[in-house]
Amino acid sequence: MQPFDSPVLYNYLALGAALFAIGLVGFLARRNMIIMFLSTEVMFQGIAINLIAFSRYHLNADGQSFVIFLLTIAAAEASLALGLVVMLFRRRQTLNVDAWSDMQG
Amino acid sequence: MDYVLLLASAFGAISLYLVMPRGRESLVKLGSLIGILTLGASGIYLFRWAVENALPAGSGNPGVFFYIFGAIALVSAVAVISHPRPIYSALYFVLLTLSTAGLFLMLQAEFIAVVLVIIYAGAILVTYVFVIMLASPAGAAPAADYDRISADPLVAILVSFTFLGTIIQAIFYGDAETNPNPFFNTNATTPPPASYGDMQHLGLSLYSQYAVPLELAGVLLTISLIGTVIIARKNEPAVHMLGSGDVPSE
Repeated sequence: MQPFDSPVLYNYLALGAALFAIGLVGFLARRNMIIMFLSTEVMFQGIAINLIAFSRYHLNADGQSFVIFLLTIAAAEASLALGLVVMLFRRRQTLNVDAWSDMQG
Repeated sequence: MDYVLLLASAFGAISLYLVMPRGRESLVKLGSLIGILTLGASGIYLFRWAVENALPAGSGNPGVFFYIFGAIALVSAVAVISHPRPIYSALYFVLLTLSTAGLFLMLQAEFIAVVLVIIYAGAILVTYVFVIMLASPAGAAPAADYDRISADPLVAILVSFTFLGTIIQAIFYGDAETNPNPFFNTNATTPPPASYGDMQHLGLSLYSQYAVPLELAGVLLTISLIGTVIIARKNEPAVHMLGSGDVPSE
């Protein structure tokens, strides 16, 4: 097994941060509801890379356990959010979030 | 101290701004050219930086597969957020998931890699693809306006890449002597235990240290299952779902 010191860790952290930033751009700039939720999944991938890299660096299983929980949250969020998306699409026949901009708290 | 990575993220921001859909095709090629050049340059820089700054005991080489999988992951992530057709976004997300699983294999997290492929590429993405096919506007025109033209990409890219620059600044250019970060204190060059990464190691952690959160995760999954069923069934009779009734028109 290869040694894993901090420069290698920094490479993984930079990759995870870049994935998170790309997902954030997608969430902020796209107007399709499904693509917005896919962008949050991209952000989840960046965070998972961070957690697994720290887990490998510290040589304990905490990061991997957190990724298990992250997958659970992602699955629950995907099912609930996509159910909501289908319901909203049935109401107005569009996926544009701007169609719901009259819904103000 | 050089600021190559901050410059690289600035170029990445420019290329992402050019790639984001704005209703015309001409700038996408220029943007992807800038993006690929930036990706290659920053990959080479990161490799040289890692080899030069390695501790004497360890080799600072993440391996060539890290750069291959990382490049595939970044390119497919950009394709996910910038493709005008949602179904292709979902397929590029499968590619992103597979390359992330490859990175996890390189980090000796084999179980997580397999679970990631099964759950993400197998379960969640199938749900996404079904919803994309269920909720696509009628007529199957080339692409809807809200897919071809993204809203305020400049503001979004400025916010996100300022965030990325902050993270890169904190990771790479922090002053480790006057401000040591406790996250990075470890004896990483010691050889890992033989059981690291296998299911026994992870299962012991999950069922001893994180037993209560694991049960709560099960409760959460059950709640979201019930909630999804309630959301999906209560609003309209089934005739409207088939599109034959008087669907409330726009």
